[in-house]
Amino acid sequence: MAETIKTETAPERPPHSLRLSVLPFLAKYGTIIGLLLMIVVFSFLAPVAFPTVSNFVNVLNQASLGMIIAGGLTVAVIVGELDLSIGFSASFLGVLVTGLMVWVGLPVPVAILAVILVGALIGFVNGIIVTKIGVNSVIATLGTGTIIVGLNFAYSSGAPIAMGVPDSFVDIALGRSWGIPHNVLIMVVVIALLWIVVERTSIGQSIQAVGGNPVASRLSGIPVHRVKIIAFMICGACAALTGILLASSLGSGTTSAADGYLLSAFAAVFLGSATLRDGEFHILGTVFGALIIAVGFNGLAIFGAPTFYQYVFQGGILIVAVGLSSLGRLYSTT
Amino acid sequence: MPALEQTSARPQPAAPDAPFIEVRGLAKHFGGVQALAGVDIDIRAGEVHGLVGANGAGKSTLIKLLAGLQQPDAGTIVIDGKPTVVETPERATSLGLSFIHQELHLVPQLNVLENIMLGAPKPTRFGMVDWRRLAAEVKPIAAKVGIAFPLDREIARLSTAEKWLISICRALVRKCRLMVMDEPTASLSAAEAERLFQIVRDLAASGIAVLYVSHRLDEILDLCDRVTAFRDGRRVLQLERGDLTRRALVESIVGGAAPEALTASDTVLKRDVIFRVQGLRRLPMVKNVGFDLHRGEVLGLAGLVGAGRSETVRMIFGADRPHGGTMTLDGAAFAPRSPVEAMQAGIGLVPEERRSEGLILEKSVAFNIGLTNLKALELSPLLPLLKMGRRTSQAESLVKRLLVKTPSTAIPVGRLSGGNQQKVALAKWLARELKILILDEPSRGVDVGARAEIHRIIRDLAEHGLSTIVISSDAEELPGLCDRVLVMSEGVVAAELKGTGATREAILHASYAHSETRKSA
Repeated sequence: MAETIKTETAPERPPHSLRLSVLPFLAKYGTIIGLLLMIVVFSFLAPVAFPTVSNFVNVLNQASLGMIIAGGLTVAVIVGELDLSIGFSASFLGVLVTGLMVWVGLPVPVAILAVILVGALIGFVNGIIVTKIGVNSVIATLGTGTIIVGLNFAYSSGAPIAMGVPDSFVDIALGRSWGIPHNVLIMVVVIALLWIVVERTSIGQSIQAVGGNPVASRLSGIPVHRVKIIAFMICGACAALTGILLASSLGSGTTSAADGYLLSAFAAVFLGSATLRDGEFHILGTVFGALIIAVGFNGLAIFGAPTFYQYVFQGGILIVAVGLSSLGRLYSTT
Repeated sequence: MPALEQTSARPQPAAPDAPFIEVRGLAKHFGGVQALAGVDIDIRAGEVHGLVGANGAGKSTLIKLLAGLQQPDAGTIVIDGKPTVVETPERATSLGLSFIHQELHLVPQLNVLENIMLGAPKPTRFGMVDWRRLAAEVKPIAAKVGIAFPLDREIARLSTAEKWLISICRALVRKCRLMVMDEPTASLSAAEAERLFQIVRDLAASGIAVLYVSHRLDEILDLCDRVTAFRDGRRVLQLERGDLTRRALVESIVGGAAPEALTASDTVLKRDVIFRVQGLRRLPMVKNVGFDLHRGEVLGLAGLVGAGRSETVRMIFGADRPHGGTMTLDGAAFAPRSPVEAMQAGIGLVPEERRSEGLILEKSVAFNIGLTNLKALELSPLLPLLKMGRRTSQAESLVKRLLVKTPSTAIPVGRLSGGNQQKVALAKWLARELKILILDEPSRGVDVGARAEIHRIIRDLAEHGLSTIVISSDAEELPGLCDRVLVMSEGVVAAELKGTGATREAILHASYAHSETRKSA
């Protein structure tokens, strides 16, 4: 760290800008440094268990579901909205996908496709409420999220759907191809797709533009409402995928299995905005954010830390994430 | 908490001509742009010191450094003979420096007095703010700057000119010794500006140093005791009042001979009508507007602030729906329900508020230029991937064509100066096939050089058959630029001026004549 301070304060700068040059640096590269530091520290503390290929694959596997849902959330956040319903929808849709297979008898691919569409539909409803009715997205998605919790209990009566889940469904998450867990492969594909959509398509440019300045976007001919609705739909579909993969991993549809993903997704997204860009939300950043969280949890598990540490870690990382993200915007030169 | 002192009771500098504040060799760079390359300027107590320069010349940077918003790379600021570091805006205030920015920072939910006292220490009574005593103390200061309205009025109900008075009053209450005004008259009417000038003179007479930043050279010549000109981050001129000429100012700002005036031809009025507006109405601002627009014509819309010009073009651009009236584009009925529809029909709008409505500041120049033209940048409708290289090259060629000063098209547009931002806001539309381009106050807050360039671009586009509607509150701007000028007043077209009849005087006369007849009626 001392060296970074030296390089940041060129001799012609007055000494009082020292503080001002370290903070923007931290806001840009702090998360990456943090991730590397964690890996180094854990490797020293647990040289047998932590720095192994199988553990790294394991970390990626654990990170993948959170990364997918956080990737979707990133799109909603880029467009300038928050979606608090994603954890609850993922839980519900995990239950729904098993229900459709076990109770309705739908073939596995049909059930999965249908549930992803339901996820997008939930996003569509969120988008309509936010754009056409003008409800603040925090309130709107808190409302729809709570309704979804109700739907979930109504559908499953609160009991897990475990009996009769097809093996082919369970194999999706638990299987491996070329030695790599399917979850990781799916995550890589989804993240790559999200990156392409956001950075390299006109809808992605529109999403960024609307998040940057909705008025200027509208006057540039961008259909602001439609763009926001699409962003919510992408977010909802990603939540659905996470719910499905979680149900597949657990081998059952469990009522509140994915609720916790809400918090970690937000932490990942905000950590991501403090990565490489000045407080701007972006997909690649979210990947780093999700990795930090996964490595942290993995470390806690290896050291056998009591459960309460997980909550402290998760809450703490959320605050650090949002703090770094604000620093990035505060000291960005624009 | 002592009672607020009268502003005239401030300590006077030892020698009458000793500067209150002196800036020596101040330098600052942002990224690869050297915004200030070592400038000197000194401002005496009791003088109105004019500061002129093109956009990007370093005026805003100087203000930011004085205000403690940013720190210089090199150079010193000397106040009352002592080298001083202005670390924070709070420090600037305590040093007696106050700043009235172009966009006034007032809290609309609070009333006048609350805004004046915002953030300042207030006298208390039983632990609560003693507003009654405060009002009694502020009132004489307010009266001095000509605040005639009650101090408990809501900010939202005041005009821009009245908000200026509040900002000045706010500075006086804080016992300011240097008042920096950035483009104060940009959104004021002529009469309001006159009143402001008197206040500025009074402030100077009471011993306050005033740094007056403006693009309007007439004001500078009229008002300032001394003038400093910046160009490319350096001081290129400093003149006393007696030596000031308009020509000298323009030449030092532009860095060469003044650009020649444009002459418009009236042959375009014989061409076919591309766009016709009849009986357009959206109450209360637009009552009855009708006009024709010819192919390749530059049509000026003049008038006072609030005449209904911006509201009219918002309807043409589909941003608002008319309550009545018809529009015809290329012979077909035209009733856009959204900007998207207006754009698809071939209409573009460069809005008045370029920072809040025209651009996405944190995104790159290329991003902003590409935004209006995303469909054309896609590989194919089936595979909607963007050709990023194409986007960059398109942005680069437009940047070159409009002479936008930027190190690259990849930097955020918010880092460019006002005039260059305006060019990017214009460039956005040149990436498309347009029939009509509407520009709302295209040279507001833009220096003479950039303004001449923007005019040249507009004329050039007209030569190539593009029809343009230009709104301007600056009566001097339209005559040289437009083929025809419509003067709007209180929601109707009050006068149509063509050819040699479209002069500054004729425009001003028509702008005011209509409202006067209304008043006397």
